[in-house]
Amino acid sequence: MLPRLLLACCAVAALGAQTPRKIFPYPYSQADLPNGLRLVTVPADYPNIVAAFIVVSTGSRNEVESGHTGFAHLFEHLMFKGTEKFPQAKYDEAMKRIGADSNAFTTRDYTCYHTTFSKEDLATVLMMEADRFQNLKYTESDFKTETLAVLGEYNKNSSSPFSKLNEVLADTAFDRHTYKHTTMGLLKDIQDMPNQYDYSLKFFDRYYRPEYTTILVVGDVKAGPTRDLVEKYWGAWKRGSYQPQIPAEPPQEAPRTAHVDWPSETLPILTIAFKAPAYSDDAKDTAALDALAFLAFSENSDLYQKLVLQEQKVDLLDASSPTNVDPALFEITARVKKAADIDYVRGRILETVKAFQEKPVDAARLDAVRKHLRYDVALEMDNSETIARILAEYVALRRTPETMNRLYAQYARLTPEDVQQAAAKYLSEKAWTIVTLTGPGGAQ
Amino acid sequence: MRFLLSLLLLVHPAAAQIRVLAHPGKSPLVTFRIVFTTGSAAEPRAQAGLAYLTARMLAEGGTREMTYQQIVDAMFPMAASVSAQVDKEMCTFAGATHIDNLPEYYKLLRAMLLDPGWREDDFQRVRDDAVNAIKVGLRSNDEELGKEVLYQNIFEATPYGHYSGGTVSSLEKLTLDDVKQFYRTHYSQSHLILGIAGGYPDGFVESMKKDFRKLPPGAGFRPRMAPPPLIDATRVAIVEKDTRSVAFSIGFPIVVTRASPDYAALLVATSYLGQHRMSGGVLYDRMREMRGLNYGDYAYIEYFPRGMFLMEPPPNLARHFQIFQLWIRPVEPPAAKFALRLALHELDQFIQNGIPQDGFERTRDFLGKYVNVLTRTKGAELGYIIDSMYYGTANYVPSLKAALARLTRDEVNRVIKRYLRVDRLVIAAVSKDGEELKRQLASDDPSPMTYNSPKAAEILEEDKIVEKRPLHLRPEDIKVVPAEQVFQ
Repeated sequence: MLPRLLLACCAVAALGAQTPRKIFPYPYSQADLPNGLRLVTVPADYPNIVAAFIVVSTGSRNEVESGHTGFAHLFEHLMFKGTEKFPQAKYDEAMKRIGADSNAFTTRDYTCYHTTFSKEDLATVLMMEADRFQNLKYTESDFKTETLAVLGEYNKNSSSPFSKLNEVLADTAFDRHTYKHTTMGLLKDIQDMPNQYDYSLKFFDRYYRPEYTTILVVGDVKAGPTRDLVEKYWGAWKRGSYQPQIPAEPPQEAPRTAHVDWPSETLPILTIAFKAPAYSDDAKDTAALDALAFLAFSENSDLYQKLVLQEQKVDLLDASSPTNVDPALFEITARVKKAADIDYVRGRILETVKAFQEKPVDAARLDAVRKHLRYDVALEMDNSETIARILAEYVALRRTPETMNRLYAQYARLTPEDVQQAAAKYLSEKAWTIVTLTGPGGAQ
Repeated sequence: MRFLLSLLLLVHPAAAQIRVLAHPGKSPLVTFRIVFTTGSAAEPRAQAGLAYLTARMLAEGGTREMTYQQIVDAMFPMAASVSAQVDKEMCTFAGATHIDNLPEYYKLLRAMLLDPGWREDDFQRVRDDAVNAIKVGLRSNDEELGKEVLYQNIFEATPYGHYSGGTVSSLEKLTLDDVKQFYRTHYSQSHLILGIAGGYPDGFVESMKKDFRKLPPGAGFRPRMAPPPLIDATRVAIVEKDTRSVAFSIGFPIVVTRASPDYAALLVATSYLGQHRMSGGVLYDRMREMRGLNYGDYAYIEYFPRGMFLMEPPPNLARHFQIFQLWIRPVEPPAAKFALRLALHELDQFIQNGIPQDGFERTRDFLGKYVNVLTRTKGAELGYIIDSMYYGTANYVPSLKAALARLTRDEVNRVIKRYLRVDRLVIAAVSKDGEELKRQLASDDPSPMTYNSPKAAEILEEDKIVEKRPLHLRPEDIKVVPAEQVFQ
C-alpha cells in the first residue's frame, strides 16, 4: 500500500487577503515506490494536455571530481541517445508521432526532463521515459559526437558577456564547493569530454537511480491510473547507493573582487554578490532575503527608480536571492551606461544594502512584496506545463509540492525586522564578491 | 450563460471599425492581447525604429496623469505589466491580471494606450534602451545578429528593409514629436484588434470597446507593400567580431504565407527538414547528431525572432512577405566551410528526393498535435486567432488541422520542388577574421572534415561529395562588415 497525501484548496482564492490560503491551489497526490522513486500527480483544470516533468536531483553541484565539470549537463544530452528497445531514431519518431514537446534542462542542483503531450499518450510517455532512465545505451562513438554538440552549446552561449561574468563570479566567490563552476562546465573539461566515456558510465550508474528521481505529472490526469502506470513501468528500477561528498565551502573572511576585459562592444556590467544560506523553509532566512531582493532592487525600489528612471545611469538592475540546496550567492547586477559611473553605482548599491541593515523597511512595502509574489505565481500558472515547471523547482529541493506552500507561509510571516536581520547577517562586507566587466576602451 | 460560449468572435470592421476577439472563460485570470496592425514597414527608412520607440513609450512611459514610476508602483503588487512587441506589420501590447485586480489593472492599461504622457525623460530612457538593445544586445548575440542581417539583406530597399529596432543613427535623430506623430497617424480604430480572454465580468468588453473609440477612426492607411527584389546570384554578408565560432543563417524570399493554399504542405516540408529546436529533423540529425558539428540546425518559413530563447514562435508577427531560412548554429571555425557546404548539400538532397512516405506521415501527425501545444496559453490562443483575422483566413488551429488531414505526400513534394532552391541565396555569417572566411568561401578548395570517433561508411562517402561541393561564390559576392557598423 502506497502512502497517499491529498491536499485541497480553492483555485480562485482572493490572493491579496491578509490570511491567504496555501499558495499552490491544486489538490495533489504523492506516492513513494519501494525503490525510492517518488510520483507527484496534480490533476489541473486545463483540458487534454499533460506535462510530465522528471526531476533528477543531480546538477553541477554533484560534479565533485576535478576535470569532470559539465557532466550533469552532458547527461541532459546523452539521455536522448536511446535504448535497445527505442534507439534514438525510434524514440524521436514516437515522440513526433504523438506531437510531444520534449526537452530537458540542467541547473546547479538538478536535471529535469520534460514532455508535454495529449492525455491519451500518457502510458506511452511513461513507458518510454522509464525505458531510457533504466536502459540508456550509447556507444563510445555516439558519446564522442555528442560531446561536440555540448561544445557547440558552449560556443553559442559564449557570445554573451553575461556567460563570462557568471563563470568568473562563481570561480572568484567559491574556493571548495562545486558551485565554483557553472552548470555548463569549464571549457577545458568540455574540450576533454570526448576522452571521458568510461567516466560517463560511472556518472550514470551513480545518479540515474530512483532515490534521486521524482516524477511530476500535471494536467488532465487522475492520480490512481497514473500511479498504476508508474508502478508498472518504473517499479523494477534498482535503487543505488552512491552519496556524493560535496565539499563544504569555508566561511569567507574577506571581500573579493575580479574584473573581466570583454573583447567586444558592451556596456559595463557590475555584479555584487554575497554568500547566502542554503534554501530553508523551516527558518525565515530564504524568504527574508528574497523579500529583500524585491524591496531593495526590483522595479519599484527606490534604487531602481533613482538609477534607472531618474538619473538614467543604469539600464538594467536586478537582484536574485538563491534557492539552492547548499549556500549560494545573493546577486545584485547592474548594467551601467558609462564606465565612469561604475564606482558611483557600486556606491549607491552598497549604501542601499547598509540602509536595509540599519532600519526596518516600511510594513506596507513588505505587504506589497507579498502580494506581488502571490499574484506572480497565480498569473504564471495558466497552463499545465508551467504549473509543472514551477513545481519542479520546489520538488528539486524537498521532493514535495508542499515545499512551495511552506516557503510562502514563511513569506506571510515575515516582519520588517526579519528582513533587516537577514540583511545584517548575510550582506556583510567580508562576504561580498564584486565582479566588473568592461568592453574595449572601458577600463576603469 | 456567458460561460457556455467557448468562443465569441465579434467582427464589425465596417460599422464600429474596432475588431474584437472576446474569449470568456472561468479562469481567475484575464488576458489582454491588443494588436495594432501597423509597424516598422509603415515608417520611413530614415526614421527606422519609430514604430518601436512609439510602442515602447506606451508600454514603458507614463500617462498624462501618472509618471512611469507611479505606474510601476501601482503594477508591482499585482505582479502585472504591459509588454510591447513591434514587427513589420503589427504592434502588440500584451498583459494579464488576476481577476481581483481587473478594474485597477485595466485602468492603467487603458491610460497607457489611450492617454500617454509623452514625457521627455521617458523618451530619453526608452531611446537609450533602444540604442543599447542594438549596440550591446543584438551585437552580443551572434545568432540573432546573423538572422537580422539576413532579413535586412534580402529585403533591402523595401519597407521591410530595415531592422524593426531601428539603427543607432536613426534612433539618435528621432524626437518625441516624431513618436507622437506616428501614434496619431497609426494608432487608429481601423488598425485595432482587441483580444481578451478569461473571467471578466459581463459588459466588460462593450465598455472596453467604448473606451478605445477614443482613438481616431483612421483612414485605413497602409504602407505600399513591395516584394523583395530578385536575387541574381548567391551572396554572403560576413559580420566580423571577436567571437569563438561561426554562426550561419541562409535564406531566400518565398511567396507562401498563412494565407497561401500551399502553407500546410510547405510547413510539413520545413518541419521534416528541421523543426525548431527539436531533434529528429534532417539537418539536426545529419549535422549535429551524426557529425557533432554544432548545437543544432533548423528550417523556417516564418519570421521567428529570439529563437535561441524560445521554444515556440511568438504570435502576432504576421507578414505579407516571408523567407525560407536555414539556421546553422555556431560551428568551430575550422569546420565552418564544411558545415555550410553540408547544409546546402542536405537541402539539395531534400529537394531532389522529396519527403519519404513515413517521414511525411510522421510530420503531418506531429504538426496536427503540436498545434495544440503552440496555443496552450490564453495569450497564444488569442494571438493565433488575431493573426488569422489579419491574414483573412479561418482560425489557425482548426484550419491547419483540416489542411493537414487532406494533405498528401505528393502535394508536399510538389511544393518542395516549387518553392525551395539551393541557388540565389543570401548567406549571413558572424565570424572572427572575416577576410579569412571570405577567402575560404570564395575558393572551391576542398574542406575535408575530420572526426574524433569512427563514422559509418555512408557518412564518409557523403563527406567526400560535400567537401568538394561548389559554392559558386566570387570575392565580389562576399562582403565583410565589422559588427560595429551593422545597424549603425
